[in-house]
Amino acid sequence: MNNKRRVTVILAMAAIAPLTFTACAGGGAAPASGGDVKSLTVLDSYNNDPDKGILQASIDKCAAKVGVTIERTTVPGKDRMQTVLQRSSSKTLPDVLMLDNPEVKDVAATGALSPLSDYKVDMSAFAGNSLDAVTQDGQVYGLPLPADTLGLFYNADVLAAAGITPPKTWDELKAAAAKLTTGDQYGLAFSAAATYEGAWQFLPFMWTNGGDETKLDSPEVKGALQLYVDLVQSGSASKSVINWNQADVKDQFVAGKAAMMINGPWQIPALAKVPGVKWNTVQIPVNKPGQTPTAPLGGMVWTVPRTGDKAKQAKAAEFVACTGTEDSQMALGKARNTVPTQNGLHQKYVSEVPTMAAFTKQVEDARSRTGKLGKDWPKAATTIYTAVQLALTGGASVDEAFSKAAAG
Amino acid sequence: MLFPIYWMINASLQPSGNTLTAGIFPTNPSFAGYETAISQQGKNLITSLVVSAGTVVFSLAIAAPAAYALAQFRFRWINAALLAILISQMIPGIVIANALYAAYNDLGLLNSIPGLILADATHAIPFAILILRAFMIGIPPSLVEAARVDGAGLVRAFFSIVLPISRNSIITAGLFSFLFSWSDFLFALTLTTTQDVRPVTLGIYQYLGSEVSNWSAVMATAVLSSLPAIVLLLIAQKYIAAGATGGAVK
Amino acid sequence: MSTIERSSRQSPQLRPPKATLSARKRFSEENVAKVLFVVPAAVFLLLFFGYPVVKNITMSMQEYTTRTFFTGEAPWVGFQNYVAVFGSNLFVPALANTALFTIGSIAGQFVIGLALASFFRRRFPLSNFLRSMLLLPWLLPLIVGSATWRSILDQDSGILNRFLEALGLIQEPIPWLTSPAVALTAVIIVNIWVGIPFNVTILYGGLQDIPEELYEAAALDGATGWKAFRHITWPSLRPVVSVVLVLGVVYTIKVLDIILGLTNGGPANATQTLAVRSYQKSFIDFDFGVGAAYSNILIVISLLFALIYLRANRRAVDE
Repeated sequence: MNNKRRVTVILAMAAIAPLTFTACAGGGAAPASGGDVKSLTVLDSYNNDPDKGILQASIDKCAAKVGVTIERTTVPGKDRMQTVLQRSSSKTLPDVLMLDNPEVKDVAATGALSPLSDYKVDMSAFAGNSLDAVTQDGQVYGLPLPADTLGLFYNADVLAAAGITPPKTWDELKAAAAKLTTGDQYGLAFSAAATYEGAWQFLPFMWTNGGDETKLDSPEVKGALQLYVDLVQSGSASKSVINWNQADVKDQFVAGKAAMMINGPWQIPALAKVPGVKWNTVQIPVNKPGQTPTAPLGGMVWTVPRTGDKAKQAKAAEFVACTGTEDSQMALGKARNTVPTQNGLHQKYVSEVPTMAAFTKQVEDARSRTGKLGKDWPKAATTIYTAVQLALTGGASVDEAFSKAAAG
Repeated sequence: MLFPIYWMINASLQPSGNTLTAGIFPTNPSFAGYETAISQQGKNLITSLVVSAGTVVFSLAIAAPAAYALAQFRFRWINAALLAILISQMIPGIVIANALYAAYNDLGLLNSIPGLILADATHAIPFAILILRAFMIGIPPSLVEAARVDGAGLVRAFFSIVLPISRNSIITAGLFSFLFSWSDFLFALTLTTTQDVRPVTLGIYQYLGSEVSNWSAVMATAVLSSLPAIVLLLIAQKYIAAGATGGAVK
Repeated sequence: MSTIERSSRQSPQLRPPKATLSARKRFSEENVAKVLFVVPAAVFLLLFFGYPVVKNITMSMQEYTTRTFFTGEAPWVGFQNYVAVFGSNLFVPALANTALFTIGSIAGQFVIGLALASFFRRRFPLSNFLRSMLLLPWLLPLIVGSATWRSILDQDSGILNRFLEALGLIQEPIPWLTSPAVALTAVIIVNIWVGIPFNVTILYGGLQDIPEELYEAAALDGATGWKAFRHITWPSLRPVVSVVLVLGVVYTIKVLDIILGLTNGGPANATQTLAVRSYQKSFIDFDFGVGAAYSNILIVISLLFALIYLRANRRAVDE
């Protein structure tokens, strides 16, 4: 056979090998383009419809306003951070990047984002709580999209038939849930999964009761956990809550297997598709009169990564600033059932979307998850969902659950 | 064994996409999921088929000679080679994906079918070498030697004797190369950044948001996308059967 | 068997004398050709695995966080990450779960797989079709498979509990995924389901390669059924069995998607394995150094099995 030719090919392959290694190790230089910026790249995690299309409309509007074309990439939400990190190390971050609000501080701390004040973006109209999550060392790194939070959904027909008014306190909640538990219908559904979703759902009860993520073994936090345990042990909530995510909770509610649920406004389109279920929402019940229902503030944020191309960064900031205008916030807020992050817009918003009244109030009093702990929040969240799981499965008493979870 | 598959089909026919209120049979089927899937996933399906078929061809081309060498030649370092191959199977896929992303970015292989084929082959090649070797150990050396006596070179003997005899195992290895590549999600996610080249495993994520998911479309896509693959597999099996009966090559 | 032996004994005599004359030249050329069989695979493995392996090892000795990805700075911490792993309260339970999960899955997959493969060896109508259908679990994205299983295993409305109750086998619904005592078993069952096609197909391929004459000859000697299996099937199948088992261990030990899809390591950490810990450390806590340490520990454990495989393998070659 023609061995010589083969050897040559192999030598050539061997010669490429070191090249590939250096390629792995290093990253390409950032492109330097001066002058007019004609296009921007955008990375977001609204990967499925209808949200994908709704966001596209919002992006298109602002792109037209600042005079650029947009090259958009979407990744599934749970893979967002992984993608961001990959892009960081290979210096291929997009010009405009969407992050979930608890991620902003961590990413900003790496130096990957540029502060919006560099571009004179006016953030004064935004609500203080929405800026907590995006402020690191006194600088604002992201512009919040319309926000969401958690509330109590109830099946209006079922409650009316049982002669129950929507609960306002924990005692009422327990009593109502117990009374509404009949046949294969549970009184209440919520998510206590071993994920951040589980922690996020626990926060409204914990914060409303005066608990704090900096002191997880306080009586206030344990009081909230006791409520969970009472609900599950009395049979008013299914034992399966520890394995449900929020979509499962919605499915249970829609299927008539739960009369009430803790969930967020992003479920509204799905609920609207089921004509048989008449639902309504109220704020999270409080433990004692006088407490303020305090839920976590959810929502995405637009940021401007440091790509090294100053002209593009400036254009990207212009684009991001546009998404903070009244037009853009109201349009997106109405289309996605999310609350504009400027308190000045709330009255108008509620008058146009009355179903969001309870959620709008809840957003105004909401707290950001990373406001106090910053990049240590994930650790606290892990402790919270682990403690909840331990207590609900009998792996630890309410009293010991948090210390046992923290030790893991 | 097959009940979960049936249950998935049942779910795909429920309007809600879940079986919370479903009976044993989908008495009131909804085809909305299928309509969505058919209208949106056709192109992705073709991408998946091309990438998977490409992976099979590429992996076998590289793995079969190596497997034969490791099975029949008396190299001193065979055990070291086997160990290295096994280690390659132990590395978490994400570590490889991260390294490949950086390299592909510089080589311009992102969003390309050859790029995905090469990446999927990282799983298929080591696997195929090990499997093929396990089967090729059983080939009597005399068969090849007989051909050599007739003047055939090592390479020709490999093509005319070894490959035909090993047809069964080559199809088995090819089958799994196909399946590995077909079910890959990680490389597809990491190494594609646009809609242009997008296997169906990733395409399915356009129904799975972090907040809202369209499960009936997800299930329908899964059902539909397995159809062409199963047809391919059936044809391959027929081929195996034919090979087994007609395979008394000796 | 006898044919093979005869032909190999004969072949040296048939070798033409020319070979000895030019032995030297022939030898070197032959060696080059032999090496060429391996070179493409070796180059591929080196290119695609060399860097990741080295990277994973160095990463496990660095403080590798989100910051590192942007700045490239990763302070060297020596074995501190490993100390963190071994010192974690979850390490021993995760190690035990990994062992139970791997042993349970492999035992189940292999036994059922071998039984099904033997069953399919007797041809019957539709046998090919059914065998292909067995591959279906592999054609479905794992996310769909685990979502389906989650609904099947649901404590209140899952079809499995409804079925068992209808049969009168259980009085109370089994808390498949919600009780720390049962969840690991449930996850193992699902993983066995996922692994059976792999075992059936490869073992079936191995069985196909055993010449029918061997069984015929053995039958003449009175060896049928179990005896035939022990003296013919098992020894002939050994290379295939050992590769199926070693690959099974290597793949099972790093199973992640199924556990994440079913329980995410819960309830109350009852299904935490080393692979899940590694994933969570890296991609939930963004502590990539500790995550890499976990995955290296997994690799070392797999390596032990690989060495056992190689030992068995050497014995087989020597025989």
